[in-house]
Amino acid sequence: MVGARHAQAFHADVDEQGRRLSARERERLLKPYLPPTPKPETSHSSAAHKSPLFQHKKRVRPAIRHAIHSLIFTIIHVFFSVYIRLREAYHAVVNQIFTVLYYHHRTPELIKKDMKNLSKVPKHLSVILQQSPAGGDKDSLETLMNDACEIAAWTASAGIPVLSIYERTGILKHSLPHLHRRISRTMTSYYGEAAASKPTISLRAPHLPSYSPPTSPEPPTNGDDADGHVHHPHLAIMLIDESDGRQTLVDLTKTLAEMAQHGKLSPEDISSELIDAEISESVMMEPDLIILFGDQIVLDGYPPWQARLSEMFYVQDHVGGVGYHVFLRALYKYGQAQFRVGT
Amino acid sequence: MATTDGASLRRWFLSLPPVEYLLQHVRELLIGSLKCGPIPNHIAFVMDGNRRWARDHKLETVEGHNMGFEALARVLEVCYKSGVKYVTIYAFSIENFKRSKYEVDGLMDMAKTRLVQMSQHGELFDRYGASVRVLGDRSLVRADVLEQVDRAVDMTRENDRAVLNVCFPYTGREEITHSIRETVKEYSVPPERPKEKRAFSESQIQRHLRTRQLASVAEEGEQQYLTPPNTTGGLSNASDADSTEASEQEDLDSSSVLQPASSQTSNCASPTLKPTTPLSPDNSSWRLKSAASSSHLPDPETITTDTLTKNTYIDAPPPELLIRTSGVNRLSDFMLWQCHETTEIKFLDCMWPEFDLWHFLPVLVEWQWRQRHKQRQEGRVEGSTDGIKSA
Repeated sequence: MVGARHAQAFHADVDEQGRRLSARERERLLKPYLPPTPKPETSHSSAAHKSPLFQHKKRVRPAIRHAIHSLIFTIIHVFFSVYIRLREAYHAVVNQIFTVLYYHHRTPELIKKDMKNLSKVPKHLSVILQQSPAGGDKDSLETLMNDACEIAAWTASAGIPVLSIYERTGILKHSLPHLHRRISRTMTSYYGEAAASKPTISLRAPHLPSYSPPTSPEPPTNGDDADGHVHHPHLAIMLIDESDGRQTLVDLTKTLAEMAQHGKLSPEDISSELIDAEISESVMMEPDLIILFGDQIVLDGYPPWQARLSEMFYVQDHVGGVGYHVFLRALYKYGQAQFRVGT
Repeated sequence: MATTDGASLRRWFLSLPPVEYLLQHVRELLIGSLKCGPIPNHIAFVMDGNRRWARDHKLETVEGHNMGFEALARVLEVCYKSGVKYVTIYAFSIENFKRSKYEVDGLMDMAKTRLVQMSQHGELFDRYGASVRVLGDRSLVRADVLEQVDRAVDMTRENDRAVLNVCFPYTGREEITHSIRETVKEYSVPPERPKEKRAFSESQIQRHLRTRQLASVAEEGEQQYLTPPNTTGGLSNASDADSTEASEQEDLDSSSVLQPASSQTSNCASPTLKPTTPLSPDNSSWRLKSAASSSHLPDPETITTDTLTKNTYIDAPPPELLIRTSGVNRLSDFMLWQCHETTEIKFLDCMWPEFDLWHFLPVLVEWQWRQRHKQRQEGRVEGSTDGIKSA
């Protein structure tokens, strides 16, 4: 790290007397900060053969330095452990307070009230759920289902029209009808049996036939029903997994390669727009906001093409899994963020 | 006014020789200590906030970018000294071309001067053993800048201890598109075949085949008498012989490229497509050519994620850490293909020009701590399973 004086000299490209620096002078300034020139292997070994005494002397200092470094490393990590435990405890308390203060009580009106102050809500919300490693397959599926249902209900109450749920293994995808039933039941428990504002839901997974049960009304195409019924809000839910990420892009490449081999397409025709059109159609559009319920931001195989400009939200040191306060805080953060494209 | 006084006082204090000396040693010591733990192999940086920093300090935008470059130099030093092998930086997004022409030109000029400077100090890069790679859509860069880019890249090509990936007109989507396009190109030309390595010559085999064909024609003539009369007897027989012949040739072809023949390629040479006209030498040579052109193409089914990864700009293992400054929680189209798996993404609130060891250290220590924590847990799990096994 260059000292302040030298940094100044570098910055202005003039020395203290105000003369312009030449390349050589600049290098001279930097010399003390550089690591030693790497020695060629051969000279090193020959020196070792010539004077073992000298070699011995050289071995002591690095050893001492190493000992000091290890000591400092240990000290840093001991202090850091203490710090991180304190931070975790602090955040646990804060999260607990949030959980108590902001609870939805399964009432859409309360959730709507929470959303009142937001300048904007995302049009497409995405959540990343993780299968809990503990417990059996059945337990973790049960938890996932519960979480998905709750999130769907919150999303509908917040007035967000599109929700996508990412789960790496795709276990949710394979029980579409069951999940649909569960979500309908949760919606009923939030909105009541026959409320006019109860949203209709459609559940879809890429590469699987869309599931629409016979009892539920078709997703409204033209807003109102034929007999002038009240307009139902609609929530489109998409289930995605690992295979909708890289694998889809690979499949697309295969198709494109095949087309190119048969002379139906020239490689020059492949553009971002083409790929974007294909991917948005077969999987989904890019979400505006991705909520992670873990304690760090790791995308865990989330479709790369779609994660381009999405805002990502997580709560530091949050370990409680899916919680309403995380959802709410993510929307608050998003509502205040200014939207910019590029870096 | 007070802040500028404070800043100048601080600068004066920091430039006192003893303070400078001490700070220098503290930094070296910290970097040395960090090396005792696990160190990420690859770190990516999104250098965001130069403009906002300049605005906050009432400086020109280009000056903000200049300070950003110095911050980069500091960070690189820390990275390479602590043993990070790959550093990838998001220097310029394709989206940035949408900014004012004045700023884009300023950025390009800066890139050029910095590259010229870098070329003057090639030795410094050699000290770290770092090679520079400039990745992205080169067609968008001005010719004079491109020339400097190539010079700097060429000069450091030999170094292999560390790599600096500079993403310069880059977006992650463009990279994926590029990779797909390259893969498609690769799969629409026959692969390079190793020449002059086998003891068999194709012409000789062809000659053998031809003699065999003649023999089979003679045989056919005999067969026609033996088989019961059939409406299309002779014709179908001929086409049958044709098809076996074709598949034989195809086998030869595909074995010569050392590639398993796919269902599609064998479809292409299916007997239904064959003219049923009698065998003639030039007919068989035509067939040979057409079979060659389709079966020499690699099978698209062999495309995997690795193929796409190989064709991306960035030739490095996926980063363990991605750090973005300026408090924006977005990837902004950076390293989408590399960072969506296991990379830990860190969003920091400081602006890039302020970023230095003191911001970097906590991130790195936390990463180390997590890594050690994970290791310990894995060890515990292994220990418990061992215990179960022994019990």
